[in-house]
Amino acid sequence: MSPSLQPSLPTSTLLDNRHHVETPEGIDLLLRPAGVIPRALAFTLDLLIRGALLLVLGLLLSLLGNLGSGLLLIVLFLVNWWYMVLFEVLNQGRSPGKQMLGLRVVHDDGTPISWGASLLRNLLRFVDMLPFAYCLGLISSLAHPAFKRLGDIAAGTLVVYREQAEPRPNLPDAEPERPPMRLDLQEQRAILAFAERAGSLSQARREELAGLLAEPLQVLPEQAEARLNGIARGLLGAS
Amino acid sequence: MRLTEASVTIRPRSAWEALDLGTLLARRHAPLLMASWALLTLPLFGLLSLLLWQHPSWALFLFWWLKPLYERLPLHILSHALFGDTPGLKASLRALPRLLRPQLLASLTWRRFSPTRSFDLPVLQLEGLSGKARGQRLIVLGQRDGSAATWLTVVGVHIESALTLGLLALLYLLIPQQLQIDLDWKQLIAPNDGEGLWLEHLSNLLYALVLVVWEPIYVACGFTLYLNRRTALEAWDIELVFRRLRQRLTGVAYALLLGCGLLLSQLPQSAMAAESRQCPVPRLDSFGPNAERLLNQPLTSQAANQAITHLLDQPPFSHRETVTEWRFGEETPDKPKSEDDAKAFIELLEAFAKLVKLWDSLDTIALIFEVLLWSGLLLIVALLLWRYREWLQTFAGRLNLPRRHREEAPTQLFGLEVAPETLPADVASSVEALWDSQPREALGLLYRALLSRLLHEFRLPLKSSHTEGEVLQLIQGLEQDALSQFSSVLTRHWQNLAYGHRLPPAKLKPALCDGWRRLFPREEARP
Repeated sequence: MSPSLQPSLPTSTLLDNRHHVETPEGIDLLLRPAGVIPRALAFTLDLLIRGALLLVLGLLLSLLGNLGSGLLLIVLFLVNWWYMVLFEVLNQGRSPGKQMLGLRVVHDDGTPISWGASLLRNLLRFVDMLPFAYCLGLISSLAHPAFKRLGDIAAGTLVVYREQAEPRPNLPDAEPERPPMRLDLQEQRAILAFAERAGSLSQARREELAGLLAEPLQVLPEQAEARLNGIARGLLGAS
Repeated sequence: MRLTEASVTIRPRSAWEALDLGTLLARRHAPLLMASWALLTLPLFGLLSLLLWQHPSWALFLFWWLKPLYERLPLHILSHALFGDTPGLKASLRALPRLLRPQLLASLTWRRFSPTRSFDLPVLQLEGLSGKARGQRLIVLGQRDGSAATWLTVVGVHIESALTLGLLALLYLLIPQQLQIDLDWKQLIAPNDGEGLWLEHLSNLLYALVLVVWEPIYVACGFTLYLNRRTALEAWDIELVFRRLRQRLTGVAYALLLGCGLLLSQLPQSAMAAESRQCPVPRLDSFGPNAERLLNQPLTSQAANQAITHLLDQPPFSHRETVTEWRFGEETPDKPKSEDDAKAFIELLEAFAKLVKLWDSLDTIALIFEVLLWSGLLLIVALLLWRYREWLQTFAGRLNLPRRHREEAPTQLFGLEVAPETLPADVASSVEALWDSQPREALGLLYRALLSRLLHEFRLPLKSSHTEGEVLQLIQGLEQDALSQFSSVLTRHWQNLAYGHRLPPAKLKPALCDGWRRLFPREEARP
């Protein structure tokens, strides 16, 4: 990897799976729409859960004769049409399958999903299913930049990855120090990430990375890593 | 490989997100990927089908078995396109023979069924590793995202079959109905003399077409999964920022050197500005824009800041209003419910057990349910009606037929009072009493009473412009013989009296009065 002095591409053409949503207050929300594969797995899980539920209820209700079959029809209706809607609206956009895959449904602007949108997107499953086994939904999902199926497009909803709380990273021990130059946010983050991810990088790679900044930091390449760790400590502040 | 030229945002992602990025990458280069895939596979598919025309399943199987070979082409294109160097269609096809050679046999035999095929391919093709080195590399790479690669293959198999079956179903839906009835399915499904082979080849072709769409995505997803793993292992994102930082800092150093050189070359002229007031250059290491600056002049940064804040606080920049409204007080906090819930659940279970015991009385329960359901339905309908009552009032009125507005019954006809309240209670008796002394008034009263009855009981639309003859015609329209006969007799004698001043014969009195009593018998019950 030779050092490059060529200007990088403008950020707008860079491909990313994150969507920026700007709130009226000027805050950028980062949404990460989920693609076909996790969604297909979540749907399969939901399908299995519903199947098991219907099987158990069917066996129980078959003890009750005609009343049972009547009740079973009602349950069938509820499970078929309301399972997704109720879970999505009442459980923060997560059906059990989505919960297991770490997904949730929100509106396009990141707000929690409403009754109308949830009903619409789940009613339109029957369009997505055409002509067989969710073909239209698959094609729409693969072709849409935010992986929306037709129901999502109609209802203005988005299936996104939930933000998971991450464990607090451990920084290597070093004497905290102030950075000798002005650093913008991205650069501060990179230095912090360098210290945080030290455990997952090999020794040689760490030295190579730190060596990149040895010249601007005015230290020998061997000492650059310790220096960077110190700067990271300083950026993190007292902890 | 220059990371700064990468056309995707490099950062460590979760495995699922890496797959999504692959979908986006394939989408961006879709025309090239799909065209090259189609140019490579469709002729081969045609060749295989022609060679094995009698054995369509074998043709499909062979075509399917060779899939790892075709996948090398999209990976070649993607790996170049990632760093902004997208090859053309011709160039990528020309590179194909070189791509196919390495580890051809292994890819087609014991690695054919590897579930992480798309994830492993970059190691073989881009890193050029083989043998033991490849195995070790795969172990390192597969430590975290191997399961996602497996799921990619598993879901991919299902997507392929779903899309193929979907295309078949679509074709079937497009067959006209009559043709559908005439089709001999048995013949098509189990052809005895090769007649239905074309159908199997058609469905094979559908599979080949589906692969044109799906395989580039599959390869791209495996590729981005590989990239993501290397990004995490080698901290590509950090390297990228560090390189930029170094470029910025060393670039600044060069600029400083250059600036110093320029300054030194123009040193003699600097004496001209010797008496200018000293203004300290702000420190580079200040605390951002909020630090106090410009302290040696009348308008300091703080004063300016305050003035700006003050100005922004006034209209038109800020708009304030005070709204006073009534609200409900704080709702009472919910009582702890868990015990109640548990109790209720146990009760529910007991009730359910009882329900099972009451095997014979199930009909009653079913009846109760029926009643409940029906009453629920009625309730919903009533609620709907109530909810939309205003709409119904507004629009349902328009749907109705034009309302029949009753014409106000006239109170006078031919100068006679015909309102029912002006008549005596017992008309016939009054007429009998009046007949001998004042026959004109008696007959007038009777005629008046008749008109009044016609107006208010028979709802005859009489107008003051009607003549007596027209009234008679209207009465005949009612088709009541007794009434019309009575009316015609009465009218004739009334006309004789009113216009001809000829008194009615005396024997008419009982006839008319009896006729009246017969026609309107309730008269008798009234007094």
